[in-house]
Amino acid sequence: MLAGIDYFIVIAYIIGMLLLGLYFKRFVSTSEDYFLAGRSLPFWAIGMSIVVSDIGAIDFVGISGQAYRYGVSVGNFDWIGSVPAMLLAAFIFIPYFWRGGMYTIPEYLGRRYNPTVRTIASVTWILFFALDLGVLFWASAVLLNVLLGWAIWTSIITTATVVGLYTYFGGITAVIMTDVVQMIIMFVGGLALVYLSLDAVGGWDALVYKVTNMGPEYRSHFDIIQPSDSSSPFPWTGILFGLTFVMSNAYMIGNQSIIQRTLTAKNEWHAKASMIFASALKMFIPILVLFPGLIAVAIIPGLEDGDQALPSMIKEILPPGLVGLMFAAFFAALMSSVDSLLNSTATLFTKDIYQPYIKKDANDKHYLMVGRITTLVLLIIGVISSPISAEYPGMYVAIQTFMSYFQGPLFAILLLGIFWKRTTQWGGLSALIFGIGFAIYLNVTKEQHFTIEDPFLYISWWSFVFAFILNVTVSLLTKPHDKERLEGLVFSSKIMTNTDK
Amino acid sequence: MLNFDWLSGISQETAKNIFLGLFVLIGFLVMLIPNDYAYEGVKKSDRHWYNNLKLWSLGSLAILFVIYYIF
Repeated sequence: MLAGIDYFIVIAYIIGMLLLGLYFKRFVSTSEDYFLAGRSLPFWAIGMSIVVSDIGAIDFVGISGQAYRYGVSVGNFDWIGSVPAMLLAAFIFIPYFWRGGMYTIPEYLGRRYNPTVRTIASVTWILFFALDLGVLFWASAVLLNVLLGWAIWTSIITTATVVGLYTYFGGITAVIMTDVVQMIIMFVGGLALVYLSLDAVGGWDALVYKVTNMGPEYRSHFDIIQPSDSSSPFPWTGILFGLTFVMSNAYMIGNQSIIQRTLTAKNEWHAKASMIFASALKMFIPILVLFPGLIAVAIIPGLEDGDQALPSMIKEILPPGLVGLMFAAFFAALMSSVDSLLNSTATLFTKDIYQPYIKKDANDKHYLMVGRITTLVLLIIGVISSPISAEYPGMYVAIQTFMSYFQGPLFAILLLGIFWKRTTQWGGLSALIFGIGFAIYLNVTKEQHFTIEDPFLYISWWSFVFAFILNVTVSLLTKPHDKERLEGLVFSSKIMTNTDK
Repeated sequence: MLNFDWLSGISQETAKNIFLGLFVLIGFLVMLIPNDYAYEGVKKSDRHWYNNLKLWSLGSLAILFVIYYIF
């Protein structure tokens, strides 16, 4: 499938990333440099990094496949499922995290509620990230094996070596600055595919005409709003309540790998601006990953497996050279996901587990070393554990489902924690534990309770409602926190008016 | 109730208007943010319309509004 020029582009990209990442080693001398880039980065780099780390190589294929099956409604996840939450994060949550000099989201939860909430949240994220790493390695390697013909272990070892080296030495600065290049490559490769595909199908109007006339199941392919009784996983009720009100907020505000990037900003304006800039870029992601699937309906109709849409389009449409660029984009998506997981997990472990529980008063060089060793250990675990995915093919979905249990309760305690000073440590703790339990219960009994194909959006919403009510109830029954303890942790109109002039 | 059957009477058109209304509401809330807060971190002498984060946010929301209006 690849010509000589394509191999050249892919290999040049991989070497380029390694050299660029290693260049940033010189800027790391403290743990703050390693985890927060010495709080020195500009908004544009952070914004681009947020966008690219949010999309993996598997998503490229998976989202195109979903667009092939369900149409533009899949775009809800990057549009309404991102932008409002990113604005809320930018104007309300990020200023608190940035001013508080925090490293992790669980650190905020620990200060606002108690250390147990911090530990539960942190351990959950660490488990998720660590499990995800192996699965991500394997699933992406299988994908590259199908597309490029590369041996699975060649892909895994290449990615692990390159990403491992620059993340180990350069920390989050290397992660973010390589993400910038990776985003440009993803956008150029993706846009080239969309432009040439649209040209092949005869333009946008021709595409709409062809697809909507292919049969009744394709008539609503261009409707972003699906009816509430739709059997697809994206009825508008789920999109509004589950995605817009809960999942997107939990993801954009409670996800360590997203928020940690904004905390590397050189000042509060750059921290807020990075998220708003990312929200604008995010709206272009569906063009790159959704449109190829949608256009494939017209060019290659009747595919049994929607996930074949993108690979087939690359084969059909792209000339040599651009195929290489598209594969470099796949690698970019994979590398940006892996480096985010490594650095965020190392931060969570060092700051939320090692520092409070294992060695409290060590010097800064020690924590820098712990961060680096954690990165290395995680990488080795990820590589060694990756073949487990081959034994359990549903593991990727299972891990994502596991994470969706966490989203509703997490957002409930973050929201009440920042907006309601009466929320207590016991309210937060019970909401987190029983909220996760309730989400698991709903998932286990989903066939009795839900009528749609995959009700994860509804489960997020109802577990959020449950955790919210429980948090309020328990908080009202328990002793409120002292005013001094809540200083700088609960929203007050003062933060908006008493700004430094 | 868990399936939102009680909202099944709402048409797709009305649902779309709910989404569009939500974007307008968020835009209105963004406009309520004090300018000093949006500029926090920028020296007073360097504050210009193009680094006003409220305008950036309204720009993002406008693109979002157009996307949902078209589809």
